[in-house]
Amino acid sequence: MNALTAFSLWAQRNRWIWAAIGVLLLWLVLSIVTNRFSLSSLSGIILSASFLTIVGIGQMFVVTTGRGNIDLSVASVITLSAFVALLTIKGQDANLAIGVAAAILLGLAVGALNSLLVVGLGIPAIIATLATGYVLATATLLSNRAISGFTVSPALKYLASGRISGVPIMAVIAILGVAATSFVLRYTVFGQLLSAVGQNRTAARLAAIRNGPVIASAFIISSVLASLDGLLLGAYIGGAFLEMGQPYLLQSIAAVVLGGTLIFGGAATAVGTLFASILLILIVTTMQIIGLPPGAQDIVQGIVVIFVLALAGRQAMTRRAPIEPARGADDDALPAGDRPA
Amino acid sequence: MSQLAVAEQDSAAAMARLAPIRQSVITLTGITKSFGPTLANAGIDLSVAAGGVIGLVGGNGAGKSTLMRILCGAMWPTLGSISFAGEELDFTDYGTGEAQRRGIRMVHQELSLCANLSVAENFFLETPGDAASRPGWRALYRARAREALDAVFPGNAIDADAEVGHLSIAERQMVEIARAAATPGVKLIVLDEPTSSLDLDRSKQLRAFIRERAQAGLAFIFISHKLQEIIDIATEIVVLRNGRTAWQGHVADASIGKLVQLMGGDANPVHQHAVAAASAQDVLVRLSGALTADLGHDINIVRGEIVGLAGLEGSGQKELLHAIFRPDRKQSAAVTRHAQASFIAGDRQKEGVFPLWSVLGNISIGALARRPALSLVSDRANRDTAAGAASKLRLDERRFGSNITELSGGNQQKALVARALVADTPIILLDDPTRGVDIATKQDFYRLCNEIARGGRALVWQTTEDAELLACDRVLVFAGGRIVRELSGAAITESAVVGASFTQPADGLAGAGHKDAAAAGLGRKLVNAAPFISLAAVLAVMISANPAVASIFGLDLLLMPALSLVLVTAAQMFIVGGSEIDLGVGAFAGLVSVLSATLLYDQPWLGALALVAALAAYAGLGGVVQARKIPAIVVTLGASFIWVGLGYALQPTPGGASPEWLSALFSWSLGMVPTSVILIAAVALIVFIIDRLPLGVVLRGFGNNPVAMIRSGWSPTRYALVRYLIAGLFAGAAGLSLTAINTASDINSGNSFTLLSVAAVVMGGCSLLGGVISPVGAIAGAVTLSLIGALLGTLSVSSDFNAATQGLILIALLTLRSLTADRRSEQ
Repeated sequence: MNALTAFSLWAQRNRWIWAAIGVLLLWLVLSIVTNRFSLSSLSGIILSASFLTIVGIGQMFVVTTGRGNIDLSVASVITLSAFVALLTIKGQDANLAIGVAAAILLGLAVGALNSLLVVGLGIPAIIATLATGYVLATATLLSNRAISGFTVSPALKYLASGRISGVPIMAVIAILGVAATSFVLRYTVFGQLLSAVGQNRTAARLAAIRNGPVIASAFIISSVLASLDGLLLGAYIGGAFLEMGQPYLLQSIAAVVLGGTLIFGGAATAVGTLFASILLILIVTTMQIIGLPPGAQDIVQGIVVIFVLALAGRQAMTRRAPIEPARGADDDALPAGDRPA
Repeated sequence: MSQLAVAEQDSAAAMARLAPIRQSVITLTGITKSFGPTLANAGIDLSVAAGGVIGLVGGNGAGKSTLMRILCGAMWPTLGSISFAGEELDFTDYGTGEAQRRGIRMVHQELSLCANLSVAENFFLETPGDAASRPGWRALYRARAREALDAVFPGNAIDADAEVGHLSIAERQMVEIARAAATPGVKLIVLDEPTSSLDLDRSKQLRAFIRERAQAGLAFIFISHKLQEIIDIATEIVVLRNGRTAWQGHVADASIGKLVQLMGGDANPVHQHAVAAASAQDVLVRLSGALTADLGHDINIVRGEIVGLAGLEGSGQKELLHAIFRPDRKQSAAVTRHAQASFIAGDRQKEGVFPLWSVLGNISIGALARRPALSLVSDRANRDTAAGAASKLRLDERRFGSNITELSGGNQQKALVARALVADTPIILLDDPTRGVDIATKQDFYRLCNEIARGGRALVWQTTEDAELLACDRVLVFAGGRIVRELSGAAITESAVVGASFTQPADGLAGAGHKDAAAAGLGRKLVNAAPFISLAAVLAVMISANPAVASIFGLDLLLMPALSLVLVTAAQMFIVGGSEIDLGVGAFAGLVSVLSATLLYDQPWLGALALVAALAAYAGLGGVVQARKIPAIVVTLGASFIWVGLGYALQPTPGGASPEWLSALFSWSLGMVPTSVILIAAVALIVFIIDRLPLGVVLRGFGNNPVAMIRSGWSPTRYALVRYLIAGLFAGAAGLSLTAINTASDINSGNSFTLLSVAAVVMGGCSLLGGVISPVGAIAGAVTLSLIGALLGTLSVSSDFNAATQGLILIALLTLRSLTADRRSEQ
C-alpha cells in the first residue's frame, strides 16, 4: 500500500509515466496476441512516431503558454513545408542547404506572424493560428501548381527513412530533440519563464517577466519544428500531397495531452510527448493490423482523445484537491473554480 | 489550554444569556471539520437569532470561511448538526440550494455578479422564480433592482439597465449587497468583508440599513477585518482562533484591543517608524507633469522611505503603481523611474502566486525573471538566495518544498515579499499587500517593511485601509486621477487622508479619457458594422459584375448554400457564448447530412432514432466537458473524428438521396422575397429570441462567470447540456439543409464550416471569452464568408485564393477589433 502511495505521488510529478506504461502494455498485449510483433516492428512504429514527436514538442511549447493556447497552423505548415522542400531542393543533394534554410525561414515567418497576431494584437491563439492556416492553405495550393516533379534528395531521404544498425535515424533525431527540450524546460531560465507565464500571466508580468517574447518564442519554436518536420516527412513519403499535414493537427494535441502536459498550461513534459506519440502511432497501427475500416479508426482515435482528457481532467482535479483541505480555512487564496460541489 | 477552556465557558454563558431572548434562525452545534490531520473547525457552536447581527472575526486560518461554507451548504462538516428554528436537519439533505430555499444568502468577498449582464438581469439570476418566459419580464427585475438599491444605498446613481462590467468595484459591491438584501423570504444574510471596496459614506449607509433590517427581524453575520465596524454594528461578537471559538459575547463586553488580543495579535498600534533619515540626493522615482499639477511641485521618492498612496478606490493610485512598475508611453512623461522595481500584489491568487510551483520556485522567479533567458538555473543557487530572504521574513525554510497554495494567506504574502527581496530591486511597489491578512501577520508585515526601507530601498504602498498609512513616511492622496495632497510625518492622520480624498482636482484627467473613449467608441461602432459593410460591398461588387445576381432567382442561387453555414454559425455562437469553441460542429453537420440521406431516406424510423441519438451524443459532449472540466476545443476536435468516422462507416463515398419532405422544406417559394433570405432571417430571429429569454440570460451568465452562477444555485452541468443541445439542434438543421440543398450527402461537406463558423462568430462581434450573443452580426458575417468563393469567381480570381481571402478577412477584422477594443473589459 505504501509503495503504491509513493508511486502515485511520484507519478503525480512525473505524469509521462502513464504514457510509457500505456506503450509497454499495448506492445506486450500485441506481442502476445499476434506473433507479428517484434522489436523491428516496434522500430517502424518509433520511426513514424518520431515525425509526430517533433510536431508534438512544438505544440507542447504553445500549449504550455496557457490560456488554452493551441497552434492550429501546424498542419498547414507541415504540408506547405513539404511542397517548399520539393520546390527548393528539386531532388538534388546540392540544394539541401537551401531547402533546410527555406524550411527554417518558413517556420520563422509563420511563427512570427502567429506571434504578431497573438502577442501583438491580442487575438486568441486558436483564431489567429486558424487564420494563418487559411492563408497557408492557399500558398500550398499555389506551390502545388508550381511543382515540376516529385523527386527527393537522396541525403534527405536517408535521413528521414534510413537506419543505423536497425535504429531509425529519425528516432535518434527525435530523442535528441526531446532531451534538448527537457533540458531547456528544466534547467534554463527560459523554461522557468515559460512555466510561470503559463500558470499565471498577470503574476508573471508583475514578477517582471516580459510575457510577450516568451509566448512569441513558443509559437516560433512550434512553427519551425513543424516546418522541419514537413521537410523530413516529405522526404520520408517521397513527395508531398495536399492535406498531408492534416492528421498531425489532432494527433499533436493528443500527444501533448496524453503525455501529461497540462492543457491549461504551465507544466510540460517532453518525455511524455515522446511516449504519447509512440502510443498514438501504436494505436493507429494496431487498428490497421486488425483491419478496421478507416472510419472506425477515426472513431477510435477520437474516443481515445476524449477518454484520456476525461481521465486527465480528473487527475488535474485530484491533484489540486489536497490544496483545499490544508488551507481550507482560508478563503482568499482558493481558486475560484475549485470549490467543493 | 486553560485559557481556551475559560473562553468556552464564557461563550456558553453568553449563549445561555442570549438564547431565550429571540427565536433562533439557524443553529450550528458542535461543528467539526477536519481536512486530514488539520482541524479547520473544532466543536464550534453558533446560533443566529432573528434580528441579531453577529460580528465574526478571526485571523486567517481561524476557520471563518470553512464555518460559513458549512452554514451556506457549500461544504459538509465531519461532525456536528444544523437546525433551522429548532427543526433539526440532516447534513446529507443540506446543500447550497437548500440553504437558499431556507432564506440564507451570502455576499462573497470576491464578487459574484455576471459582468456581461445588466444589473436587473443579475437580480433575476438570484431569484429566477418570478420570471415567466414572456416579453417584458425584465421590467419586473428592473423595478426590483431599483428599489433594492435605493433601500440600502440611498442616493446611488446606479442604472438598473447598466451592464455590471461598466460599474466601478464599489458599485458592484453595492449591487451585490442590495441583491442579497432584496431576496424575498431571506432570513439570514452573511456579509464577507462587505465594506472592503466601499467608502466611508456607503459603509455608514450599509450599517444603517443593517440596523434597520435587524430591527425588523432579519439576521446578519458580518465578517470584517475592520474591527471598529464590527464594534459599531454587531450585537454579538464571535471570535474564532485556530478553528475554535475563542470568545463569544455581547458587543458591550468587547473592545478593539480585546478582540485583537483574542484573535492572537498584539494590540500595539501600527505607528512605529522613526522618520527616515533619507538621503534626498538618491531619487529613485520622480513624479511630475499633470499628475502633480495640483500640488505645484514635483515629487521625488528617495531611498529609505515608505510612500503611501491613498484616496477613494479607483482615484488613480493603482494606475500610478503600475505606471511606476512599467512606464508606458502615455504616462512616461509624468513618471520617471531611475532604478529597477519589483511588485508585490495583494490579490495573491490572481496576481501573485504560481499555483503549480513550490514555495522555493515562487520565490526564485523574482531573481530569474531578471536574468538572460538562456542562462542556466541551479536549484542550489536558488535555495541559497531564497534562504537569505526567507530568514529576514521569518519564513520557515523547511516549507520551501511545499506547494505555495498549501500556505496560509499570510505566509503566501511573505513568499511574495521574499520574491521581491531576491529580485533585489531598489524600489518595491506594494498593491494593497495586507488584503485578507490577519492582524497579527499585518503587524509583522509593517515591522518588516520598516526594516526593508531602512535597508535603503524605497517602498511605494497602495492601500485601501487608511489606518495602514500611519506606517508610511509620506502619503500622497489621490482624487480624480491626480495627487491632490502630500502629507508627511505627524500630518498623516486618518482624518487628514479622508478629508483630502474628497478634494476635487482643478480639472480632472477624466475629460481626456472621455475624448479617447469617444474615439474608441466610434471605432468600435465601425468594427461592429464591418460584417454588414463587407456584406453590402461583396453583394455590390457581384451585382455590378453580373446584374442577374440581383434577381430573386439569382439571390436564391447565391444565398441558399449560405444557409448551412448560417445554421452552423448559430450553433457555434451558442458554444462561443459559453466561452468554448466547437471544432467538431461542421463534422457533426456532415454526419447529420449523411444520416438523413441514408438511414432517414431508407428507413425513416431508424433514421429518426439515429438522429436523436446523434443529438443526444452531441449534447452529452457538453456534459462531459463541463463535468470533467476539460477543454472543449480538444474534446470537440476529438469528437470531430468520431463524427467523420461514423459518417465514413455509414457512407464511404458521397451519395444517398434527400427525403422528399426535407427537400420540400427548403424549396418553397413566396415569389416576392427569395426563400433563402427568409430562411436566413428566420434563423437570426430564432437565435435572437432564445437569447432574450431567461434561458438565454442564464446561458450568457454561465459564459461570463460560472462560479457566480453556481453560487446563485444554477446547475452548470444541466446548462452545459442545454447549451450543447441548442447548438446541436442548429448544427443538425445545418446537416439537413445540406442534404436538401445538395440532394445527396457527403461526410466531408460540413468540414469547412467549422472554421468558417468560428470566423463568422468573431466577425459578428462575439467575444471568445464568452457571454456575448450577436445573431445579426454573426449571420451577416457567415453570409459574407460563404460568398467569398462566388465573389472570387466573379472577379475571375482562382479559387485557390478562397481560403487565403477568408483568412485575411478574419485577420483584418480581428486586428481592427483589437485596435479599437475596450482594454478595460479585456482585463
